[in-house]
Parts: sequence; C-alpha cells; structure tokens
Amino acid sequence: MAGRVAMSDDRPSDALARLAERLDKAQASGSGAPVAGSGDSAGSQQAMGLGFRIGIEFVVAIIVATGLGWVFDHALGTRPFAMIVMFFLGVATGMLNVYRAITGQGAAVGFRRPSKDE
Amino acid sequence: MALELHPLEQFKVEPLIPIHIGGLDLSYTNASLFMTIAVVLITALLVLGTKRGALVPGRWQSVAEMSYEFVADMVDTNAGHGAEPYFPFVFTLFMFVLFANFLGLIPYSFTVTSQIIVTFALAAAVFIGVTIIGFIKHGAHFLRLFVPEGVPFVLLLLLVPIEILSYFIRPFTLSIRLFANMLAGHTMLAIFGGFAASVGLLAILPVGLDVAILALEVLVAALQAYVFAILTCLYLRDALHLH
Repeated sequence: MAGRVAMSDDRPSDALARLAERLDKAQASGSGAPVAGSGDSAGSQQAMGLGFRIGIEFVVAIIVATGLGWVFDHALGTRPFAMIVMFFLGVATGMLNVYRAITGQGAAVGFRRPSKDE
Repeated sequence: MALELHPLEQFKVEPLIPIHIGGLDLSYTNASLFMTIAVVLITALLVLGTKRGALVPGRWQSVAEMSYEFVADMVDTNAGHGAEPYFPFVFTLFMFVLFANFLGLIPYSFTVTSQIIVTFALAAAVFIGVTIIGFIKHGAHFLRLFVPEGVPFVLLLLLVPIEILSYFIRPFTLSIRLFANMLAGHTMLAIFGGFAASVGLLAILPVGLDVAILALEVLVAALQAYVFAILTCLYLRDALHLH
C-alpha cells in the first residue's frame, strides 16, 4: 500500500528525535521484554480465526447441498434421488473444505492459507 | 414462580418510522438505526481521528491508523498482488461488521449481525462481486477454477460437481457463520440474564457466568469480523490469481 506513511511532515526531525529518544529509553528499561501485539500474536490470531472458521464449514455444506437436492427433486420430480446424491456430495464437499482450511494446500477452489513464496 | 424467559425477543425487528411505498415495507427499523449508528461511528472515528494527521499519533489517530494498517496488511498477505483496488471494500466490510458486533454487546442495543438477512446480503455482495471480478479478469478461463489439475478424467466427473458445490456454498458458510455466532452468544446471555432475574440471591451464579460469556463474546465479535474479512480476501485471491 503506497502512501500509507505519508503524513504531515512539519518539523519532523525535531519530533522524530524526541520520539527516538523516548523509544530508546523505553526499550532500555523494558530490557527486551516481548511487546504485546507483535510477533507471535499474529500466528495465534490466524490459528484462532481458522478454528472459528471451520467449525461451521462441514455442517453448512451438508445442509445446503441436501436442501439443493430437495429443490431439484421438486423441480424435476425425481424424488428422492437428487436429495440422496446431493447429500453425499455435500458430505464430500464439507470434508474437502475442512481439509483445505486446515492444510492450506487445496488443489483447487479456495480456502488456501496464504503462502509466502508467491 | 413463573420463569419468564424471552431470550429471542432481543432479535425482533421493530419499525421505528413506518414507511410504505407501493406495497413495499421500507420502514426505518431498530436494525436500520443501529446500522446508521455503526456507519456514523466509523466515519467519525476515521475522519476525526485522522484530522490532525500528527506524525506522532494520539490515541484516536492510533486507533484509526491501526485499523487501517491491520486491514491493509490482511489484504496484502491474503489477497496477493493486484488486490489493492479492493482494499476499500474489505476495509468497509471489516469495520461495519466489527462495529455492528461490538454495538450489539451494549445492553439494550440491537445486534444487526444476528439477522441472517443482513449477513447474507453482505456475503452475497462479496460472492457476486468476486464472481464478476473473476470473469472480468479471466473471461471464460475463470471456469478452470472448477477443474483441478492433474486429475484423471473419470475422477473429474465426481470432482467438478464437488468443486462447483464448494464454490456456491461460500455465501452460505460466510453468512451463517457470522449470524449463528452472534445469535448463539446473545441468546445465551439473555437466558442466563433471565435466570438471574428469577432466582433471588442465587443470582450471583448466572450473573457471574454472564460476565464470563460477555468476555467471550467480545472475543467472538472481533474474531468473526476478522474471519469475514479474511475470507473475503481469500475469495478475492481466487478470482484474481486462479492459482
């Protein structure tokens, strides 16, 4: 994101010097204690987000797929076969989604954890 | 002793200013009110917070800048290159869901995100938008998203339907996740609150539990906004890069 740090720079050297001084002092007194909200927290935050995410993934896939099957049945008069087929497809989709969300290495659609090397 | 529990009453949408146009009910409801409050608060935070533009930010400017950088970072790492034009959308989405969730935690307020129609509208906007972006960027080639590479033809007959299903389930999981989390949390709070009102001195137990649940709900409110935004980024990444 370009321009993120663009701000007013009236007499920056003065304010910056004072800030640097205070930062040095704070760092010296803290003696390398980990600052809250940096480093490790990003990882745990991502893990927690993942946990909250996949809980519902499996259930919703089955419900939506089965519901779609029910709709197809009513539209095409194939009751109950579309619903049965779609139920199993829903189970497969749910498992696939959960697997992808956890491993982060999907072969195709979505749910990939970002890889740094791209 | 009659236990009068109405844990679901808090989710009732009530018209505040009735507006009926051509048979359509366009009333300004309590849900609309809290959406308006959320938008006003977000605008106020960002506009007033960054007005001074100091090099060494004060409290409000810090909050505004941190939320900006948090989302900018999220878009950058999760949606990949070329996603910068969509940052405003993700940022708006994140802030709206976050503020709606937090506003809902204030007693006697209304939780906008506990309405499935609200979350589904947001998710549908993401889903339709991402699909359109995908087709604009890649044309018919976008359909390759449904065909995994290096798979024998026989398996494709099974895998392509699964992939298509997986794609169309996105708006449902996206909206139900947010809606269900909010609904469950607030219902639980109301149920234990109702217990507290009816058991006299023993009320200390349900109230204590309510405090604990409220703490959890604060976490859930922030996390669900984060999840909503990050999934939007991941979907955008699919549409932009196809991998």
